[in-house]
Amino acid sequence: MNVYRTDGSEEGFYTAAFRACTDKDCIVTCAADIQLAAGMQILEVRTDARCSERVKAFLRKYDERALGELSLLLRRGCCTKEMTALGYLRLIVEKRAPVRNMLAHPAVLEAVSEIKKVTQEAHRFKGFLRFMECENGIWYAPFEPDNDILTLIVPHFARRFADQPFAIHDVARQKAALCHGTDRCFIRTDARVDIPLSDNEQLLQTLWREYYDAANIAQRPHEKQMKGYMPARYWKYLPEKQPFKEHR
Amino acid sequence: MIDATRLKILTESAKYDVSCSSSGSARANKEHGLGNASIDGICHSFTPDGRCISLLKILLSNRCIYNCLYCPNRADADVPRASASPEELCELVIAFYRRNYIEGLFLSSAVERSPDHTMERMTDTIIRLRKVYNFNGYIHLKGIPGADKQLVSRAARYADRMSYNIELPSERSLHLLAPQKSRDSVLQPMLRLAEEKRDDAKRRGFLPAGQTTQMIVGASPETDAQILRLSEALYRKFSLKRVYYSAYVPAVRHPALPDTCTGLLREHRLYQADWLLRFYGFTAEEIAPEGENLPEEYDPKCAWALRNMQFFPVEVNSAPLEALLRVPGIGAMGAYRILKARRYAALDFADLAKMRIVLKRAKHFITCSGKFCGSDNATAIKTLLSLDVPEKKHEQLSLFSLPELAESAGSGQL
Repeated sequence: MNVYRTDGSEEGFYTAAFRACTDKDCIVTCAADIQLAAGMQILEVRTDARCSERVKAFLRKYDERALGELSLLLRRGCCTKEMTALGYLRLIVEKRAPVRNMLAHPAVLEAVSEIKKVTQEAHRFKGFLRFMECENGIWYAPFEPDNDILTLIVPHFARRFADQPFAIHDVARQKAALCHGTDRCFIRTDARVDIPLSDNEQLLQTLWREYYDAANIAQRPHEKQMKGYMPARYWKYLPEKQPFKEHR
Repeated sequence: MIDATRLKILTESAKYDVSCSSSGSARANKEHGLGNASIDGICHSFTPDGRCISLLKILLSNRCIYNCLYCPNRADADVPRASASPEELCELVIAFYRRNYIEGLFLSSAVERSPDHTMERMTDTIIRLRKVYNFNGYIHLKGIPGADKQLVSRAARYADRMSYNIELPSERSLHLLAPQKSRDSVLQPMLRLAEEKRDDAKRRGFLPAGQTTQMIVGASPETDAQILRLSEALYRKFSLKRVYYSAYVPAVRHPALPDTCTGLLREHRLYQADWLLRFYGFTAEEIAPEGENLPEEYDPKCAWALRNMQFFPVEVNSAPLEALLRVPGIGAMGAYRILKARRYAALDFADLAKMRIVLKRAKHFITCSGKFCGSDNATAIKTLLSLDVPEKKHEQLSLFSLPELAESAGSGQL
């Protein structure tokens, strides 16, 4: 069995899908460390714009919306995302028609549920992202999402905070978006960044923390529901979830 | 900036208002100002009681001239009092909003001096936000019963949503527990705003997110049937977006009020019934027969189905949407998914399970291509589906038992 290894980009995936077109029983992945079983061999896929364009042209012809869906799928933070995308893509190729409503088909079910995870996380971070005011007047928001959603949430914040220059930093993936008015750019960052905060910042975080505690109705505890809506892995950058004394 | 002590007082006084939604308005960010509203609403945090924080929910003042028995801020109550100036509140809203802590402001107030005076200060606050700070975020404004109608109408032009709290489901209870408020002082302004919104429909700028209201459940003896009929009438006549129900929490002790919390399950059942009214095409009459409470052991849709077994089973592969929506266990999303999927292939029970349609209840009420998987004995279904109402916990008290538990053992109430 062949394992097609891509560079993790969208183009890389389409190239691999093109190469593996007739290779029905194969694995496409971008994982660097894969455990090979007996009889498996790795084929490194060099991203090729011409190949990926042919697959995209096919999709544009039969199901334009699928391009967007596959792009969402490939943002998943798990190593099987390429296989899910490939299953969905192959079904479109087989049917030569949109398949998104075939909700009882395993490939579609898988794709729909994985896409949902990406869009849901993007929606959640519209609420859970926290900005801090820096000394130089820029608003800085670090976060560590499960999926690669940085570019998905930037337009929302650019519309909302049209009058404040801000940076959103995906700490785990080491990339950031910088926005000021209509100007936007995406950069790679170091593993550690040092951001001096404004004098006011600490006070506001404390006020917010006070507000959060006061808004709770202690007679009606329902911690399980809170954690369901706001999973503990997101708490790292929420000021209201930090112990009172040791504010970052 | 407002200090922590006053923030705490004004927040704690506001937190019993359950409305939290920030949806329904698509206000755009104008002229490079600050903020916009998101049509679906966004939750920014969740408190340990499981409720979301979407808007900065705060009172302008908790100094009240009214004496509503159920209210922790009533005039007679011995609680710390505070008020904030419109400018202080605006600063706080902007500072929180820029940090993405909140989606906007939910402004309410106790009636300080007079309804007009209070309404004026609230209006001043939101106009300042909109005009001075060029703030386009979501604003939910509480109406003060008895305030001048011109004033209310003016305020409504700057808010996304307004709400008047009905508080108690019947005029009699309102008279008993909130003697200074009358049913008309709450309903009249709601009706006027609804009419004004209708007349203004073309401009779409007037209260884009409509009106809501809130009722306290369990402080007075009304049944669920009565409450749901009232909600239904409110949705029909006042075009309300939401009716919120708040299970009574004894924040104050008074002989006219019950000592115990109303169960959260009752509140939950009311919300389920409310959804059936708004999205599933049920009427209050169907959900709760006159004079009855909703059963606790089944959800309201399941209870309706068990009373109306003649409608079932429904054939999944051919039934119209309205019939699918009435099947216990199939929600609105599930029903739409079934409609889409069955165009490609006939669905069987395994397909439904894969599509995450919960079959625990549904299987007794549906057939898949003529096949039936449930039990056809109505009594058996009832037993199978009844929720295990959590057994009241009894515990041998020891020195280390929690004080609340010891208290409940003493009073015999949970």
